[in-house]
Amino acid sequence: MTSFNRPWRLVSLLQGSLTFLCTLGIAQADELRPPGFRPLPPGIHALVGGNVVVRPGETITNGTLLLRDGYIQAVGANIAIPDDARVWDMHSNTIYAGFIESDFVPGNARAPVNTDDIEPVSHASLTAGGYRFFGTTTENNAAAKSSPGAFWPGFTPEYRAARTYSPTTKNVAGLRELGFTAALVVPGRGIFQGTSAFVQLSDGDPNDAILRPDVFQHIAFDTHDNDDATFPGSLMGVIAAVRQTFFDTQYYLANHADYQQHPTGRPRPEYNPALEALTPAAQRQMPVLFEPGSVLMDDRAARIAGELRLNFALLASGQEWRRPDLARHTGATFIVPVNFPTLPQMPDEDDWTQVTLEPLRAWDWAPENPAVLRQQGLDIALTTRGLADPKDFRPNLRLALDRGLSETDALAALTTVPARLCGVDQVLGTLEPGRIANLTVVTGGSYFDPAAKVTAVWVDGRNFPLPPEGEKPPAASTAQSDSPTNQVAVGASTNSRTNTIAGKTDENKKSDADKLRDAQKIRVAHSPLEGRGAITNPPAVLVRHAIIWTEGPQGILTNADLLASGGKIIAVGPHLSDIPANAFILDAAGGTLTPGIIDCHSHSDILGLVNESTLPSSAMVRIRDVVNSESPNLRRQLAGGVTMVNLLHGSANPIGGQNCVIKLRDGDGPDDLIYPHAPQGIKFALGENVKQSNWGEKFVTRFPQTRMGVQTFDNNRFTAARQYLAAWDHYRRNGGLAPRRDLELEAIGEIINGTRLIHCHGYRQDELLMLTRLMQSFGVRIATFQHGLEAYKIADELAAAGIGVSTFSDWWAYKFEVYDAIPYNGSLLHDHGVTVTFNSDSSELARTLYLEAAKAVKYGGTPPAEAFKFVSLNAARQLHIDQFTGSLEPGKDADFVLWSQAPLASTTICQQTWIDGRQYFDRALDAARTLRLQPEYDALLAKAKKIAKLSGGGGGDGGGDHGKSFFTVSLEHQYDNVDRDCLDQQNHQGGAQ
Amino acid sequence: MTPFASGAPVGDPQPVASTMHMGITNHPRDHLHRSADCQSAVSPAGSRQRFASARPAQCVVHLPSGRRTPEPGSVTRSQLPRNNHPTTLGIPFRLALLLAFLSLAPIPVLRAQTLLFTNGIIHTASHGTMTNGILLVSSNRITGVYDPARGEAPPALPADTTTIDLKGAQLYPGLIAVDSALGLTEVEAIRASQDLNEVGDFTPDVESWIAVNPDSELLPVTRANGITYFEPVPQGKIVAGQSALMSMDGWTWEQMLVKRPVALHLFWPEFGLDTTPKEKLADPAKATSLADQDKERRRRVAAIQNFFDDARAYARARSSAHPPTLVPAWEGMLPALRGEVPVVIHAGELRQIKSAVNWSLTNHLQMVLAGGMDAWRVARLLATNHIPVIYEQVFTQPVRDTEPLDVHYTAPEVLRQAGVTVIFSTGGSAFEAAMARNLPYHAAQAIAFGYPEEEALKGLTLYPAQCLGVADRLGTLEPGRDATFFICNGSIFDLQTSVQRLWIAGHEINLSSRHTRLYEKYQNRPRLGVGHH
Repeated sequence: MTSFNRPWRLVSLLQGSLTFLCTLGIAQADELRPPGFRPLPPGIHALVGGNVVVRPGETITNGTLLLRDGYIQAVGANIAIPDDARVWDMHSNTIYAGFIESDFVPGNARAPVNTDDIEPVSHASLTAGGYRFFGTTTENNAAAKSSPGAFWPGFTPEYRAARTYSPTTKNVAGLRELGFTAALVVPGRGIFQGTSAFVQLSDGDPNDAILRPDVFQHIAFDTHDNDDATFPGSLMGVIAAVRQTFFDTQYYLANHADYQQHPTGRPRPEYNPALEALTPAAQRQMPVLFEPGSVLMDDRAARIAGELRLNFALLASGQEWRRPDLARHTGATFIVPVNFPTLPQMPDEDDWTQVTLEPLRAWDWAPENPAVLRQQGLDIALTTRGLADPKDFRPNLRLALDRGLSETDALAALTTVPARLCGVDQVLGTLEPGRIANLTVVTGGSYFDPAAKVTAVWVDGRNFPLPPEGEKPPAASTAQSDSPTNQVAVGASTNSRTNTIAGKTDENKKSDADKLRDAQKIRVAHSPLEGRGAITNPPAVLVRHAIIWTEGPQGILTNADLLASGGKIIAVGPHLSDIPANAFILDAAGGTLTPGIIDCHSHSDILGLVNESTLPSSAMVRIRDVVNSESPNLRRQLAGGVTMVNLLHGSANPIGGQNCVIKLRDGDGPDDLIYPHAPQGIKFALGENVKQSNWGEKFVTRFPQTRMGVQTFDNNRFTAARQYLAAWDHYRRNGGLAPRRDLELEAIGEIINGTRLIHCHGYRQDELLMLTRLMQSFGVRIATFQHGLEAYKIADELAAAGIGVSTFSDWWAYKFEVYDAIPYNGSLLHDHGVTVTFNSDSSELARTLYLEAAKAVKYGGTPPAEAFKFVSLNAARQLHIDQFTGSLEPGKDADFVLWSQAPLASTTICQQTWIDGRQYFDRALDAARTLRLQPEYDALLAKAKKIAKLSGGGGGDGGGDHGKSFFTVSLEHQYDNVDRDCLDQQNHQGGAQ
Repeated sequence: MTPFASGAPVGDPQPVASTMHMGITNHPRDHLHRSADCQSAVSPAGSRQRFASARPAQCVVHLPSGRRTPEPGSVTRSQLPRNNHPTTLGIPFRLALLLAFLSLAPIPVLRAQTLLFTNGIIHTASHGTMTNGILLVSSNRITGVYDPARGEAPPALPADTTTIDLKGAQLYPGLIAVDSALGLTEVEAIRASQDLNEVGDFTPDVESWIAVNPDSELLPVTRANGITYFEPVPQGKIVAGQSALMSMDGWTWEQMLVKRPVALHLFWPEFGLDTTPKEKLADPAKATSLADQDKERRRRVAAIQNFFDDARAYARARSSAHPPTLVPAWEGMLPALRGEVPVVIHAGELRQIKSAVNWSLTNHLQMVLAGGMDAWRVARLLATNHIPVIYEQVFTQPVRDTEPLDVHYTAPEVLRQAGVTVIFSTGGSAFEAAMARNLPYHAAQAIAFGYPEEEALKGLTLYPAQCLGVADRLGTLEPGRDATFFICNGSIFDLQTSVQRLWIAGHEINLSSRHTRLYEKYQNRPRLGVGHH
C-alpha cells in the first residue's frame, strides 16, 4: 500500500502548529472593528436540536454542537448551553463536518486532464514538431525561456496555488452552496503543475483562508495542453519527462551539496527553481497527486511512483470500471469526479447507428465508478471537478449512490478521507471537540436525499447562510435569506415552505424524475473484461492427429501429436505416449498446427501517439509505459494466429523510442503482457520520415533534413553516449559526484554495451549501408532493418554483418524511397543467408500475416515451410527470443495455432490460438461472443433512448462546454478502428469511416 | 443471376457498348466536337461506327496488310504493335523467356494466327470450368471453347495453327480492376505524380482516361498477376467526372481505351456526424452542433439533386428547337442521364448508402455502389433495387465493436445471398493502385469465408464487364470475346500461384516489370565473399 494510511512526518508536525495558529487567529477576530465596518459576529454559537453526524456512521439525534472562536468546543446529546452563545435551532436539520472539495480549480471550470483528450491520429498530430533542436535533453536553450525554471513548457513545479488564491473567486460561493467548507485548490495546468493549497472557503482575508500551503505536487499526464511543437508531444514522452525530471532533481540536489562543500575550481551549478520546488516530493516529504487520465495510466502512475519512491494519490479518470483489478493494485486513494457523460440528441434515428457499444458502456458504467473503487477496498474522495455545472454534483452523487456507493462512504469521501488525504485530519473531517468549526447543514435527515437543501455552511465557526437550492426563490424568500437575523428560523420554516413550492410546481415532473431515477438505477452494460482471458487453462494439453509445421528441425509432420504442460512444449511427434491423465485432449484431425505468428513490427497496442516526434532523438521514451492491454487488436490478431508482437515507436525521428515485445494474452494487464525473455530494443529510422520529406513545406527546420544529416546526427548521439558511459565509469572507479542520469544517453549507452537491440526503419540501400557501417564503428551490430525494401540490393553486406530484415511482402510505390521495392526482396535476402521476416506495420494486415508469408513462395520460390518462418521462427530470431519461442520444439513456449488448412493456403482459417499452453482464441466461441454483444448493445440503446426521453431530450450534443462528453473516446479505444502505422501510410487507414 | 433490373441495358449486345472500339459518335464529346471545332476529326471514324453499331462483336477493323495505321479516335487494339512472345511450346518457350529476361533484349515480335490451347483447366466465367478444356483463338478473338468431356471438339484448323499444351495449367479470362487509381498515380507521396483529385464539387466533364500514363510502372506490375483491364477513376469531391475502361496494353492512352466513358462518378457526402467534443477542437468557436451538421448534410444532398435537375433541363433543351449554349459540364452528364452509363456512387457508411440509394431511385438512375463497407447491412435494399456493389472492404477491420471479426470477409457472401451482384475491387486510392495486383486475393479471402469460387471469378470478370457495358466484348471465355486470358500454375485465388503467360486481345504480353527487372539485376549482382568479419 503506497497511499496515506499514515500521515507523513512533516505533515504531522505541521498539523500541530496549524491547530495552534488557528486558535490564535480566531482569537484576534474578537478585536473591535472601527465604525463603518460591520461588527464581527459573536464567536460563540450553540446549534441545538439537529442530527449531528459526528463522523461517517456515527450520528447524535437531537444533539447540540457548541462552537467557540472558530473551533468545536463540545458536541453531544446533553450539552449545557452557555449564556453567551447565540442559539441556532437545528430541529429537522442535519449537521455534518464541513465538506471538503478535493480538487478545486478556482475561477476555472476546466475538466480534469483526461488522457482520452489525446487527439485522434491525424497527419497534423503525428507530425507536429516545428521544433527547436536541442539535441540532448539537458541542453538549455536560453532563448526558450525568459526567467529561471524548467526548460520545457508545462513544467512549473514551482507554481504555488497558495500564492494566487483569492476567496473572492466567483465559484467559491458556488461550492459553499453545495455544502463545501474547504477545498484543495489545485494549479490545474501543465504536466508538473505545481503545488496545491488547502483553503477554508471563507470570504475574508486570503491569508486566513489558507489552511495549508503546498499540500501536493501535481503531475498530470497531459499531452493536450502542451504546445504541440515541444517535447513531450506524446503520452510516453510525458512519462519519460516525469522520470527524467525527478532524476534531474536528485542530481540538482547532489550537485548543489557538492558545490557547497567544494565551491572553488569547479563549474558552478545552475539555479533552477523548478527542480528546487520538486525537492520535497522527490524526498517523500510531499505527496504527489497524479492525474493519469485513464485506468491504464492509473496503473502506470502507481508504478512510476513506486519506481521513484514517491508518496502519491490519484485523480480518478472515471473509467476505473474498465479494469478494477488495475485500480486495486495501485492501492492509492482516489479523488473521484462525478462528471458523468450526458446523452446526446441525435438528429436522425439512423444516427444512433454511429453510436457503438463502447460509448454506451462508458455512459452506463460512469455512475458506478465510485462504488467500483470502493469495492476494490480503495479510499475515495469526491470532487466537483469536471462538471459543466457544479449544480450537477448532488444529482450525480445521488446517481452514484443509487449505483452502489453507500452513504457512509460518500460522506467519508466528503469529509474524513479528503481530510486525511490533505494532511488536515487532525483539525477537520469530523465533529469532535477541538477541531475547526467547519459545518455543513442540510434540511431533513440526509444530504443525500434529493429533497434535502443545504441551508448553511459554517467555516471557521462563521455562518454562511445559503439561498434555497434549486429554482429561483421568490422575492420574499430572497429577502429572508439576505437577512442574517432570520437565519435562526431557517431550519424548519424556510424549508417547509420551499418544499411546498417544489411540491406544487413539480408534481408532474416528479413522477418522471422518479422514473428517470429508476431507469438509471440498473446497469445494463457488461464489463469489458467479460469474455476475455484464457478460454481454457489446462495443466497439460495434447493436440492429436494434426499436420504439424514445427518450423524446427523436425520439419513438417503428418498425423503427429504435440504435448504441452506448464506452458511449455514437452514433446512433438507421432503417437506420443506418457500423456498426463489430466491433459486436455484436442483432436486436430484434418487441421494443421503451426507455431504462433510473431509480428515483428506493430503499433497496434500502443496508447496515445506512436511517435515522440518533437525531438530527433527520443531514446528516453518507452513503449512499455504505454502498452494498451485493452485494445481490440489483441483479439483481432489472435484470430489471425498472432501470438506475439513487437510494439515499436514510430519512425518520425532518427533515434526513436524503446520497443516492447508482448504476448497477446488478452485480458492480462499491460505489464503482464510484456515478454520477459525479450531483450530490450529501440527503434531507429532513416530516410524520408526522419528528414520530414513528406510532412509538408513547413517542416524544414528540424535537423536532419538530408540523409547526410542522419549520419551526422546518429554519430553525434553515439559519441555523446560514449562520453556518458565514460563519465559513469569514471565515477564508479573514482567516486565523487555521480553524473546526471540521462535517460536518452543511458538508452544509447545500452546499445553500445550490447544490451539494447536496434530495430531500424529504413528503405534505401545507401542508408542501410550507412547505418551498418556507422554502428560497426561503435562496435554495434544492428538487430534488424525494418522494411528494408531495398535490402535485396545489399544482401551480401547484410548477411555478412548479421543483420536481419523485417520487410513488407509486396508494398511499394507509396513514396519515392520505395519505388525500387520488389516483392522478391524477402526471397532474395533469404537466399543470401539473411534472416527475413514479413511484418504488418498495420493493425489490419497483422490479421492475415499467414497470407503475407505465402507471397514469399509466389515471389522468389521460397519453400513453404521456410516462408512460414518469415512470420514465426525468423521473427523470434530477430528479437533474440528463438531459444524460447518461434517453433514447435520441446522446451519452447506452447504458443501454437490450429488452422483449417495448410497455413499458406489462401482459404485457410485460424481455428484456435494458444499461448503458454492456454487457449486464447476459438473461432466458434468468438462467434458466440458477437451474439452476446448485440443484445447488450440493443438493451443499452433502448435504455439510452428511454432516459433521453425522460430527461427531456438528452444533452444536445452530448456534453457541455467542459463536462464529460458522451462522445469522448477513452484512451484505450482511441485507435480501435485506425490502422496504425509508423508514418508511412497516412492515407491507408483502413475502414475508419 | 441477372445483375441488373429491367431497363439496365447490360449483358446483351448493345449499340452503346460498341462505341468502345470505334466510335466516338455516341460519346457526348463528339457532339461537342461537331458543334464546336473538331469536325474533321470525326468523319473518318463515323462511317465505321455505323458498322460497329450493327455488329459490335465484329467491329474490329481488319486491314489487308499486317501494318495498320491508327486513325484519330478509332481504337482498334488489333492494330497495336506490341512485344509478342513466340508462341512456342512449354520448355523452349520458358527458356526463351528466361533468356529474354536475362538479356533484357527486346522480345521478337511474332503474330499468332490461330492458337489452340489444350489440356487445361479452363475457367470460362460464363459457363463454368472445364477440367480438361480446349480454347481456340483466331487472331484477337476467341473462336471456340470446347469440352472434350462432353464430346465437343474444335473444327478443322488452319495449317499454321499453334497448339499450346497447358499440361493441366489453369486458364482464366483476364481480370478487370474497377474503381482504380492505376494510371493516375505513380508514387503516392509525390504530389507531382498524382493526377487523381480535381478541384470542385461538380466536375462531370473531367475525363480520367486522357491522364492515364501508359508508361506507369504500376501497370506491368499489376498486369503480371492476370489483371488485363482497369478503370481509372477520378477521385473528386462530389460529381468527380467520368471513367473509362482501359486495356493493360497499348502505346498511348488512346490505344489503351476499351470504352469511354463507362461511368459517371459521384462521391456521396459524408453522413457521419463529427462528435468531437467542442473543447477538443482546435478552434472551439468553429464547433458545429449535431443539428447543424444534419442540416449541412441534407443541404449537400439537395445540392446534388439540384445539379442533376439542372443537367436534365439542359438535356431536354438540347434536343429542343432552340438548343442552349454548349456547356461542357452539362454535356458530361448526358451519358449517365440517358442511361448509357451507370452512375457509380461511392459510399461506405450505412446512412450514406441509404441516402444514395434513395436518391438514385427517385432519380431513376442506373446506380452502382462502390466502396460498400456497410452494404451488407442493407443487402435486401440493394438486391431489391438491382444495385450492384463494387466491394472494396474485404481487408478492413470491424468498424463497430459489436461486429464479428470476419464481418468484412463475409460481407460479399451476405450480399450475394441476398441477391446482390458483387464486384471485387481493391479501391481507388493511390496506395491501392500499387497494390492492385492483389485483387484476386481480396476475393480469395471472401472465398475462405464461404463465397463460391465461381462467383468470385465472375466478380472479377463477367460482372464488372456487364456493369461497365462491355460484356459482349470481354470478361468471359466465350466465342466472339476478345482473346484476353492468362495461364497460371494453380488457382488464381491461391497466393502461391504464378501467372505464367498472358494474352490481351490475342497478343501475348511480356510479363516482365520493374519488379522482375530489379530482381534479375540484383540476382546477378556479383556475390561478395560471404562470411562474418
